[in-house]
Amino acid sequence: MSKIHDYDGPILEIDKLSISFFTRLREIPAVMDFSVKVAPGEAVGLVGESGCGKSTVALGVMRDLGKNGRIVGGSIKFKGRDMEKMDADELRGIRGNEIAMIYQEPMASLNPAMKIGAQLMEVPMIHEGVSETEAYNRALEVVTDVKLPDPKRMLSSYPHQLSGGQQQRIVIAMALMSKPSLLILDEPTTALDVTVEAAVVELVKDLGKKYGTSMLFISHNLGLVLETCDRICVMYSGEAVERGDIETVFNNMQHPYTQALFRSIPLPGADKNSRPLVAIPGNFPLPHERPKGCNFGPRCDYYEEGQCDEGFIPMHPADSAGDHETRCLKFKEIDWNAPLEIGEQKTKGEIGKVVLKMDNLKKYYEVAANALFGGAETRVVKANETLSFEAHESETLAIVGESGCGKSTFAKVLMGLETATDGEILLDGENIEGTAIEHRDTKTVADIQMVFQNPFDTLNPSMTVGRQIVRALEIFGVGDSDEARRERMLHLLDLVKLPRAFADRMPRQLSGGQKQRVGIARAFAGDARIVVADEPVSALDVSVQAAVTDLLMEIQREHKTTLLFISHDLSIVRYLSDRVMVMYLGHVVELGTTDDIFSPPYHPYTEALLSAVPIADTKIEKQHIVLEGDIPSAMNPPSGCPFQTRCRWKDNVPDGLCDKEVPQVKDLGNGHEIKCHLDDKTLKTMEPVIKLAQEAAE
Amino acid sequence: MEPLTWFGAYATGFGSLLAIAITIAVICGLCAMLLSLTSSSTSGSFSLFNGIAVVVLMIVGFSYVYATVTGGAGGGLDSGSLGKILALLLGLALFAAMLGYFMNTFFDDPAATMGYVFVLALKVIGLLVAAWLVWTLLFAGAGFRDYVAGLDPDTMPDAETLAAEKRIAVMQGRGIIASIFMRFMPVWTSLALLFTVSMFYKRKLGLYGKLYDNIIGMIGFGLVMFWVFTAFYSGFFEMIATHGALDQASGMKNKLPGTPLRGAEAHEYPFYLLGGDNLARDVFSRMVMGSGIVILIAPLATLFAFMVGITLGLPAGYFSGPALNSVKSYGAIATAAVFAVIVVYTLATSGFMNALIFATVLGIMFALLFKTTLDTALSFLANLILAFPVILLFYLLVTPEIVKTGLPQYMAVVLFAFPMIFVGVLLHSRLRTQPAKNKLWLSVWLIPMFLLYMSTINTAGSKIDFWPLDFFDIPGGILVVFVSVVFVNSPTVFRIVRGLALDINSRDYVAAAQTRGEGPWYIMLWEILPNARGPLIVDFCLRIGYTTILLGTLGFFGLGLPPESPDWGSTINDGRKLLMIYPHPALPPAFALLSLVLGLNLLADGLREESLKD
Repeated sequence: MSKIHDYDGPILEIDKLSISFFTRLREIPAVMDFSVKVAPGEAVGLVGESGCGKSTVALGVMRDLGKNGRIVGGSIKFKGRDMEKMDADELRGIRGNEIAMIYQEPMASLNPAMKIGAQLMEVPMIHEGVSETEAYNRALEVVTDVKLPDPKRMLSSYPHQLSGGQQQRIVIAMALMSKPSLLILDEPTTALDVTVEAAVVELVKDLGKKYGTSMLFISHNLGLVLETCDRICVMYSGEAVERGDIETVFNNMQHPYTQALFRSIPLPGADKNSRPLVAIPGNFPLPHERPKGCNFGPRCDYYEEGQCDEGFIPMHPADSAGDHETRCLKFKEIDWNAPLEIGEQKTKGEIGKVVLKMDNLKKYYEVAANALFGGAETRVVKANETLSFEAHESETLAIVGESGCGKSTFAKVLMGLETATDGEILLDGENIEGTAIEHRDTKTVADIQMVFQNPFDTLNPSMTVGRQIVRALEIFGVGDSDEARRERMLHLLDLVKLPRAFADRMPRQLSGGQKQRVGIARAFAGDARIVVADEPVSALDVSVQAAVTDLLMEIQREHKTTLLFISHDLSIVRYLSDRVMVMYLGHVVELGTTDDIFSPPYHPYTEALLSAVPIADTKIEKQHIVLEGDIPSAMNPPSGCPFQTRCRWKDNVPDGLCDKEVPQVKDLGNGHEIKCHLDDKTLKTMEPVIKLAQEAAE
Repeated sequence: MEPLTWFGAYATGFGSLLAIAITIAVICGLCAMLLSLTSSSTSGSFSLFNGIAVVVLMIVGFSYVYATVTGGAGGGLDSGSLGKILALLLGLALFAAMLGYFMNTFFDDPAATMGYVFVLALKVIGLLVAAWLVWTLLFAGAGFRDYVAGLDPDTMPDAETLAAEKRIAVMQGRGIIASIFMRFMPVWTSLALLFTVSMFYKRKLGLYGKLYDNIIGMIGFGLVMFWVFTAFYSGFFEMIATHGALDQASGMKNKLPGTPLRGAEAHEYPFYLLGGDNLARDVFSRMVMGSGIVILIAPLATLFAFMVGITLGLPAGYFSGPALNSVKSYGAIATAAVFAVIVVYTLATSGFMNALIFATVLGIMFALLFKTTLDTALSFLANLILAFPVILLFYLLVTPEIVKTGLPQYMAVVLFAFPMIFVGVLLHSRLRTQPAKNKLWLSVWLIPMFLLYMSTINTAGSKIDFWPLDFFDIPGGILVVFVSVVFVNSPTVFRIVRGLALDINSRDYVAAAQTRGEGPWYIMLWEILPNARGPLIVDFCLRIGYTTILLGTLGFFGLGLPPESPDWGSTINDGRKLLMIYPHPALPPAFALLSLVLGLNLLADGLREESLKD
């Protein structure tokens, strides 16, 4: 199948596109009046919260809307040709050939039963009918291009033999196999760790330049879009609300939703007490319950009755060039530079006595090859190595690290789902490290509770919200009668700011943020004193994140709770934590107050982590550090320092000490501990990773 | 007395009309099928599968009609006409193929056009049947009224004779099909009532209500409920069936459908609607009575199999992770002791070889239990049962020698205990924090269940006969059938439940329950099981179907149930022997079995489809 050649205009032109899904009950409009143009070699970002229709646009371009989705208006032109008029054969020729798509889950986009090489070679063999040898050579070339080590071995391995990051690189390689003119990336890095994400993003940018491919980059992460794209299109509830050059939109936004979005994400400078995040009030409207007029109207600060709710609002050009457009009637009246009204300033909770103390905690797992007949050697996974820290009353201790660093194991041991191999956990001076949860008394169990990551998984789908909280009360022995418990449950709903009517709802009737609030209410059912929050907001939308974070902080202030906040998102960690603990491969590599962690001297891993986090602020200048390779397996950790395989400072340590010995914990004063061989002098030379642009200029 | 015709005395020409309509439907169906095979267009709503299904149905329907038209009253299928029908169908198929290619030159999308005509023909057939039914039922008595009007008032017979004559005349006016339709009147009424009420409240009825959005599911549910109501009315009110299941009438041996009963008394039904079998019993009544056995045993046995499967499958899935090494101490010693006793007992009673087999199996079980996980051990056991040929197992279980040892009863003791265990654990795990409530609920549920259990397993004069409060005895044959069906089905259920539990085990709400210190059984029964219900409900429906077939198989082989039992399997087997000469005794129970299983499968399909939608 040949390509459509000789075309200079925009690669993709979407004009007033409307897509609807048809269900048993009604038509659900998913995308309305959506227009975007992608010029050759340009990267356009599509940003919005889940359910805003950004993925539907991508599927619409691929014409892969499923049985009940249909394009009900507008047109999609690819290289000037109307895709509506193409038949199935033509579309097949374009998909995977001219337009390639990269999905969120790399494992789900690769066929687990086929070798990588065969999957890659398939693309040119089907679309261009090239010979097997040529296809193989091309596959080899592309795999080299995506910077995978040992390309030949890669081609002959199965997807499950690769790590998540490597798999995503293969998916990118597959998309590039046919040298497409347009690449659609649907949240390509959401399932990856931050440092891996940074490397993949870097790769995508480079390849875009090298191959001259246009890109449609779909993401919910404003920082990521800032790093990758030339132009941006912000979507809300099925509509594009603002569109324009990336710098213009970020610095000179002209739509209240964009503004609210930026105010609800923790940028450097936000602080939980003095300048808290501003959550967008209300909820995302369901597609069939959209308000009349402006979709954002009911949640907008500038809403004006009689104007904003008067029917369809078209896009208005916001500058003379007409390149920057906004779907707001009042954008000229709004003073965009008005300073943010700072709500009530919260006083910081007094940090009290030590509640929880970990001392040299170790957790090893034995993995036996064959349990039935004993035999074979048993291998040891060292999930946690010498974990020591203290947590105080009403303190937020953030535990930062990527997947596989042992933070979940640590949580399990603390909760009593596993018992420690060695070391001590002291709760109010009492050892609990060896007591499994079934042997702990109710008080201890109720004291340490957990808030889970995935809101869609945290509640039992077949039990009412109220019943689940009441169950926790029953177990913790709160209340004497059913009535008393019900009363207490309603109080808990008040505490997490949910209407009392929710008690009788089923979890599926709640939004993600609401479910997470119920999860928090359940954790506080027995007046928990230590709450382990395992990435409690990472699966939530940006606008909801702020609200849930604030709720946690407020409850903490009231109840003097110790919050162990597990996260990989350093922006939110910087915003809300008092102290930070950075973990890598089961080791604590750095521990200190938030300010100490976020300013030099850093542990080399912390430095890379900071650099990897995308920040949605054009004024920020970041040092660019990309880590090579993947996190080693805990089953087979590197000798010496766990981080030595990826460390860029390794050469500064004499005698190859990093390969030989695990570094000792070094105290840099003020409780700032660091596990590194680097001497003090080298550490002092480190420069801050994140700088405000003005600072840098001064 | 004249025999009944299929369509009644007043529907002259209806048979031919129906035959024409069906012929058109068959031709168009075949055309559409062939065309959709040859053309790449997918716009026609007619798929290959639909085509095949329609053709098969048409062959069945058509052969009956053809036989009626050519053979006249009471026509059945003989081998000669079967050949003719096949030849005709072959001719039709060829004709359709030719027509199909010919059509290609005339229509843009002949497959769609043919599909359209086919659907139209189906509608016409439906209308024809409805019109005929109304017509026949309205005018069935017309001839008799004329006859009475034409009678000389002097020779007018007395009212009693007149009434008897009227009854027969009306029936002859209706014919076989309409008479059967009338016999099923209570079922129709109940079905209509059920569907109307459910349709009206379907938005409030959850998954069951959603079924009414799905035409396939509705048809399936209709078929199933048809037999449920039939079993209900015939079992409890002695309605529907025209004669007793064991009544024999002289001169009715192997008589064709619609044959009048010789010398029928006034209270007797004067015809054998679907003929007589080789012992001169009424085929129609036996088919109706047979539904009772199936409808009672199949769902109940499936329910018990689910209880066993769930109670074992949940812990297998839940405890799949770490090995049960902690049970090493007392549990292992106790188990070893029990196993040893079994082996020694076997050695003493049934010889060295048997003891060796037992020792091997139990040894492996012990190793699995205490060296690996509960999961491995239970799965091993389930696979052991699944690996055994089912029919052979049945033959073993019903052999008189085995029954005499009391084995089926001992199995019943174990298998029937599972519902009690299930309910007990279910309640206790939830209410353990409130002791007073716990005691109340447990006693309310468990005491009646225990009494029921003891009555079930305790049978006077058998191996287990010690319990004084025996309310009822279950006939030995039924107990054996029940036990074997449960025994064979539960390993499959076990595997499904185990798989689901493994999957749901990794959800956060399970972790949340663990971190608040819930016991394992609470998590299994209240956190995992309710969320596995979707696939389990679907499998339950399918499994009732399998059980129905299994019961049929058992009856067919004459296993378990008494030989005179009217259950479908036995009657099919009885009819099979003379199938080539008299097909009519075997076909009705076969179609009954087919329609019930088809209904259950369609119902399961509908449920699955609807449960997947939002």
